[in-house]
Amino acid sequence: MSSSPTSDGLMEVTMPQMGVSVAEGTIVEWKKQPGDSVESDEPIAQISTDKVETEVPAPAAGLLKEVLVEVGETVDVGTVLATIETGAAGDGQAPADEKPAEEAHADEPAADVEAEAQAPAPQRTRAQATDGERPAPHGDGDGRRPERGDGGAPPVTPVVRRMAEQHDLDLSRIEGSGRRGRVTKRDVVAYLREHEGEAAEPEREKALHMESPYREEAPAVAPEEAPAAAAAEAPEKAAPQPQPAAAAEKAAQAAPISGGRELSVMRKRIAEHMVRSLRTAAHCTTIVEADMSRIEAARGRRSYLPFVARATIAALREHPSLNATLEGEVLTVHEEVNLGIAVSLGEEGLIVPVIHNAHELSHEGLATRIKDLAERARGKRLQPDEVSGGTFTITNPGAFGAVLATPIINQPQVAILDLETVVKRPVVVTDADGHDSIAIRPMTYFCMSWDHRALDGVLAAQFLSTLKRQVEGWQG
Amino acid sequence: MLLMRATEERALSLYRQGKVPGSFYDGRGQEATAVGPAFALGPRDRACILHRDLGAHFIRGVTPGRVLAQMMGRAGGVTGGKDANMHFADQRLGCVQMVSMLPDMALVACGLAIAFQMRREPRVAHTWFGDGATANGQWHEAMNVAGVRQLPVVFVLENNQWAYSTPNEREFAVDPMERAAGYGFPGVTVDGNDVEAVFEASAEACERARSGGGPTLIEAETMRMHGHGAHDDMSYVPKRMFEEWEARDPIRRYEERLREDGVDVEEIRTSVKQELDRETEWALAQPPPEPTAATEGVFGEADPELGDGEAPWSRWEGEDA
Amino acid sequence: MPELTYLKAISDGLREEMRADESVFCLGEDIGAFGGAFKVTDGFIEEFGEDRVWDTPLAENAIIGTAVGAAVEGLRPVCEMQFADFISCGFDQLVNVAAKLHYRQGLSVPMTVRLPSGGGFSGGPFHSQNPEAWFLQAPGLKVVAPSTAEDAKGLIAAAIRDPNPVLFMEHKHLYRRAKGEVPEGRYETPLGEARLAREGEDLTVITYGAMVLTALEATEDLDGASVEVLDLRSLCPYDRDAVLASVRKTSKVVLVQEATRSCGVAAEIAALIAEEAFEDLDGPVVRVTTPDVPIPFSPPLERAVLPQVDDVKEACRELLAY
Repeated sequence: MSSSPTSDGLMEVTMPQMGVSVAEGTIVEWKKQPGDSVESDEPIAQISTDKVETEVPAPAAGLLKEVLVEVGETVDVGTVLATIETGAAGDGQAPADEKPAEEAHADEPAADVEAEAQAPAPQRTRAQATDGERPAPHGDGDGRRPERGDGGAPPVTPVVRRMAEQHDLDLSRIEGSGRRGRVTKRDVVAYLREHEGEAAEPEREKALHMESPYREEAPAVAPEEAPAAAAAEAPEKAAPQPQPAAAAEKAAQAAPISGGRELSVMRKRIAEHMVRSLRTAAHCTTIVEADMSRIEAARGRRSYLPFVARATIAALREHPSLNATLEGEVLTVHEEVNLGIAVSLGEEGLIVPVIHNAHELSHEGLATRIKDLAERARGKRLQPDEVSGGTFTITNPGAFGAVLATPIINQPQVAILDLETVVKRPVVVTDADGHDSIAIRPMTYFCMSWDHRALDGVLAAQFLSTLKRQVEGWQG
Repeated sequence: MLLMRATEERALSLYRQGKVPGSFYDGRGQEATAVGPAFALGPRDRACILHRDLGAHFIRGVTPGRVLAQMMGRAGGVTGGKDANMHFADQRLGCVQMVSMLPDMALVACGLAIAFQMRREPRVAHTWFGDGATANGQWHEAMNVAGVRQLPVVFVLENNQWAYSTPNEREFAVDPMERAAGYGFPGVTVDGNDVEAVFEASAEACERARSGGGPTLIEAETMRMHGHGAHDDMSYVPKRMFEEWEARDPIRRYEERLREDGVDVEEIRTSVKQELDRETEWALAQPPPEPTAATEGVFGEADPELGDGEAPWSRWEGEDA
Repeated sequence: MPELTYLKAISDGLREEMRADESVFCLGEDIGAFGGAFKVTDGFIEEFGEDRVWDTPLAENAIIGTAVGAAVEGLRPVCEMQFADFISCGFDQLVNVAAKLHYRQGLSVPMTVRLPSGGGFSGGPFHSQNPEAWFLQAPGLKVVAPSTAEDAKGLIAAAIRDPNPVLFMEHKHLYRRAKGEVPEGRYETPLGEARLAREGEDLTVITYGAMVLTALEATEDLDGASVEVLDLRSLCPYDRDAVLASVRKTSKVVLVQEATRSCGVAAEIAALIAEEAFEDLDGPVVRVTTPDVPIPFSPPLERAVLPQVDDVKEACRELLAY
């Protein structure tokens, strides 16, 4: 179909679509000139496309009024090529509607016939007027989506809710530009930008938990006074908030000072925690060497962390005084093992999500939880209670090649276990008859820092000895 | 053949003990149609082996222990628990694993043959299918493609008289062997319970394929002595039919011939039993697969590697394009 | 860099791979002497010979099945289905043999199946479909759907090199409508990676194939809104990270697909977003799709069901105002 009537007896001749995938055509020759009379179906132009060369017939009888595209010009399918004044020659009636689409696009190779259908040149402006009712947007085919809500308060979307919690905002104080007065994400973002500097609504991060590096300062305390304030602080669990997003945003906004860059807020928090821990606890580190052969055999391609975690839990059951927290002079030995696993957030820092009741999980269960927590930690989607309440921490900086470390205790726990690289070494093995030989075994060092205020070296060594026994005798 | 029968008997016993999950299929009575053609293959030939052709796997080099472990769904089985019963193949021995839809493997065999043809190699692709499968559109497509391109493929049609409970007369109007001519290549019928006859026909067909003479359809007439699966009591089969075919048992017939030639058949039987006992013990000791294996291996990381089979007869060992 | 049409780019990519690796060969109906129904393999039989450009009988299961056999023996077949719609005639070999072989046997199947898909030119119910969703339900198959000439060449090459069966959805309506600069020589576009067709802040349109052009046109000048358009390019595996990152950024998503509505790619991604980016959403996840109907032939009917520029505009406007 390559024509359509205008409202004043003028017919448009448009570039036809010569085949399924053709998008444009070129004028090769005009067979008629403006002023010539044309019969219905008489060829008035020769065009060429990728596929074929063919003629364009006049859609109706009349006078060729205007030629709009030059010879040699290439235009898109549907472009108006010429206009014909109908009824002027008196021998044709301009049809009021589009003609049905059959026509003289007869040059298709025979084999293409099955493959290609002839499409009329789309006439956007005209055709849509003559189209029938179109179903409403391509939704479920039933038409418009049903009206949501019952006219009550507009909903608070998940992202708006999250941001409100994060920044401790009262949504009723924010103007909503969304439907039904809804407060949108844009509204919240705009609001935050406006009120950035206000002292009346300080955007401090809330405390996460007792052991968090993201410790809240007491209100109105300047950063320099922090050490004193920190010592006096009571554990703040009332309003723990998801932290890393805010911290990261702030980190990105940390203003550079001439000659150097100030630490990001997150790093400052970590720094404070670490220094405070060293100052509070009487740090000692005990190291034990273990043969990881059994675990290597059992783990296949999986990480060995869940296996060691499981062994650690078993060892903590035998030596419960390592599964304890010390605050001031009060030592609490815990029933349940809430195992913290340090997760690196890259350059931003680190965080320690906690697997609550880890003693109830097998190594497979631990593996699943660790993976989930690590993913969400990096995606900044941890819940507040997932970073609090730990009773023992394991840190595993990964196989970067370091063999020993002296970790810093995660307050207020009494010990922290660091797993470093597993290295194949020659070791002496004694067989059942007491004969010694050398074997190559995958060995590692378990480095545990512990608080001498709460326990003594013997206990630490016994715990590690049990851990070694669990690992070396792994049955899974 | 003995090994095939003995292994299948052992497997059936394990199945009845509940050690083999799912279904169980065997080729009792069809040992010659499994073994004869496989014996004619060279090491570089390729085979798509079907569910009643266990003997062919043994000829290529699969051990009975791995087969039993496979049926029990153990980690040491050929597919490591991924697929069931006879749906296995060892690609290191040049075999491609069957699917349940029949006769899909006929087209895959044509594909293997196309590779040989394109590379001008004197190699043969080989597959089996049953009488029922010849009713399927894909059989027609395979026969047609093989004929149009004169592919180096050998089709062994094991006409064991029954497709589950459907006898030949309900399955087709014209004997499939005659239809081969309609596709442009020869069809031959052999006594499927005479292992030497089957072997001769297969060797001839392989020769034809290797020398560029195109495909062959070998119809091996035999009888399925057990049900379609262990769950089928074959009550639809007339008793007389069992008796007739029992008298033509392929193993017994060949043993007679061997005895005539002075071969110690009892020794063979004993060694087969011993081998099977050892292999069974090994299979029973294999652990179940790790649950994590269930989501592994959906995609491959490297290009495929089809190795060469053992091909004991190996007439073509060492010959290359 | 030369400017090529999408169709020429596919041709180019296929030719480069066939020149570089003898084991690559083409099979399909009318691809040899005729050069293919859409001329993608025009000139190929002259350059590569009958052996490597096979005019098959009219038998889709045979095309796919023999491709599997050839692939496991070390060749790299590139099958052409004359229209994507006809894949239903080869469905069994594709989902039961090709897709599952590696999982069951550990034998990979390095084959490609080219599927000229999509509507918009009165092809009617059997020449206009977008059947990719069928194959997202057959684990073991990969599916790609380029929208630009550059990606068309890069993805056909990547599909051929991949050791797994890959379905290449080439949208017929893009053959000549999509044009662009295409690097010369061989290169691969990685599977599983999406492309940001336009960056934006206020709303994301996630789409693929011919609908990428529709989406770009619809959102170019939409009441001053800044609309991000994410071109998936790969449907299985698809780029989850890119999807989630974009949702996190704009919090509003419109999914556009030309395929019919139920259980398509859009449904899968909407579910992913609901599961993993719930807290990033500032409005419902919306789909613009063809309704669940066979594609009709007559132009006004076809236009009424395939998503048009205005449909995408309207969906975006509504969501922006939410």
